Amino acid sequence: MRTDEDLAVALLRATATHENRTEEQLRSWAATALAFGDELPLEDPDVRVVEEANGVARDVVTLAEYDARTHTVTVHTDSLALLADVAARKGWTDVTPDALRRAAVAHEVVHHRLHGGLARDLRHRLDHVVCRVGPLRVRGHVVGADEVVAHRYAHRASGLRRSPLHLSAALAELGG
Amino acid sequence: MGYAILAVMAVGVVLMLTRVLPTAFALGLMAVVIALLAGATVLGDKNSVGTTVLQTGSTLLAATMIAVLLGSWLGTLMEDTGIASTLVRKIVEFGGERQVVVALGVYAVAVLCGSITGSAPAAMLAGVVGIPAMIAVGVRPVVAGGTVLMGIATGLPLDLIGWQFLSDAIKIPIDQVRSFQLTLFPIVLAGSLLYILVETRRRGARHAWAVRLDAKPASTRVRRGDAPWYALVSPAVPIVLALGFHVPIVPSLLAGVVYALLTTTRPGKLGERALRSLYRAFDVAAPPIVLFVAIGMLLSAVRLPGAVSALTPIVSALSPSGTVLFVLVFAALVPLCLYRGPFNVYGLGAGVAGVLVSGGVYPSTAVLGLMASYGQVLGVSDPTSTQTVWSAQYAGVRPEKVMASTLPYTWLIAIGGLVLTAALHLT
Ligand SMILES: [Zn+2]
Repeated sequence: MRTDEDLAVALLRATATHENRTEEQLRSWAATALAFGDELPLEDPDVRVVEEANGVARDVVTLAEYDARTHTVTVHTDSLALLADVAARKGWTDVTPDALRRAAVAHEVVHHRLHGGLARDLRHRLDHVVCRVGPLRVRGHVVGADEVVAHRYAHRASGLRRSPLHLSAALAELGG
Repeated sequence: MGYAILAVMAVGVVLMLTRVLPTAFALGLMAVVIALLAGATVLGDKNSVGTTVLQTGSTLLAATMIAVLLGSWLGTLMEDTGIASTLVRKIVEFGGERQVVVALGVYAVAVLCGSITGSAPAAMLAGVVGIPAMIAVGVRPVVAGGTVLMGIATGLPLDLIGWQFLSDAIKIPIDQVRSFQLTLFPIVLAGSLLYILVETRRRGARHAWAVRLDAKPASTRVRRGDAPWYALVSPAVPIVLALGFHVPIVPSLLAGVVYALLTTTRPGKLGERALRSLYRAFDVAAPPIVLFVAIGMLLSAVRLPGAVSALTPIVSALSPSGTVLFVLVFAALVPLCLYRGPFNVYGLGAGVAGVLVSGGVYPSTAVLGLMASYGQVLGVSDPTSTQTVWSAQYAGVRPEKVMASTLPYTWLIAIGGLVLTAALHLT
């Protein structure tokens, strides 16, 4: 079975701008981001949560989204039901729409928190130096690392046995 | 007879709109029928379908075709050597999690791409990595697609190919085209920046837990090596030469090609890469070149003496005179350049421009302003143009959504262009 780190590497690999990165580079970023997600203190969500049903489209399933201006998390109930259904067929009985909802909200809360100073902490931890002038280092943004952090945090916050990274991979299998 | 010609044009628009005929074939067919209605003989040395429309007309835009081919060559090289994707990646790394900064950076790359090659190839150069990168940092998919299109349209006034096309189509010296386009540029720039700043903020950054069911977008992003930093200025070489040193269009574009080759390719591989990318450029350039062949025929047909004398009274009667009316009427007619409409410069619009010029309805500089202004709307908001279709679909939205998102801004840009035209060339 593929580990969370494998899946996080695959997620980064599929993210724009990482087409040419080495396997080691992506693996190190994946490990750092997962550790960052492990260390984030669990907090109660301080965002507005609304529910909508229109998450399932032909080629993409949106489980939840976060709007940084209104601080609102939208949970797509049809997508959660679809994922619960996929999990049930695999015999993963703890994956209920309710647990998924907790995971989805926790995932988006990380994006909410990453809009503050936390983003700088993450950038320092990833330590992707793109420019060095004497002692001065400019650390670049690693696209997709926030997504890995959010998945790991959501795993802890939801109490699900299988990680959201695994559940996402199971859902992606629907596309063949 | 003038009304019969207008009826043929209307039928042509319907054929293109309903996709019964591809645009280029519809334009070619219209050229032949219009010529016959205008009293042209089938064969003959003067004013005939065979000589004037087909023989002379097919190469009327030859200079534009060569420019398109060279622009496509440079575009292909930028893709092959990783220049475009390296530029976008640097911008995302430095722009970080601030979505406006990333959007502005990708926009700047799109301006460069738009200034060397037009339409879908330019959108792909900037968008293949740029669109998903913007979405990944929170830009809404519609706005991500719109940003790339706005960038390409901002490059349009600096596009050497566009200068050549307008110069050939409206029969006006390149110098005059250049000077108008350079005054139009700040208007386009301002309108586009307004789009990005307003639309990225109107609704906040969006982060989604989303799972793709098709792996298509990732597979179209081929892995390529990194281009060195000094190669990244390649797309700016032609415009710097043309603007700064008044080098003609073909040598300017060639210099860009040579610079991109020398800065990215080992000497032993030069010949092979140059030839391979040139052959691929023919594929990329085929659709616009076919279109330019047909537009050349259409232009030759509407410039026939019979067509000019039949159309001029009607067009003169319909055309608004006076600066205020000119701006108001043509601003209201902006939607007619969408959906392959009669004001589409890369279609029937070129013919309309030909009629306006040969009939002496407006000074040719005013027709240039009119067509350039409409071109700005068309290049971004037309949901049937290839770059709009590609960008929208790649961002995962319908082209009509991109039209709805961008049209208020491109319409404003067009009005700006019309005011500029009226002020400069109608008073
Ligand atoms: Zn996320």
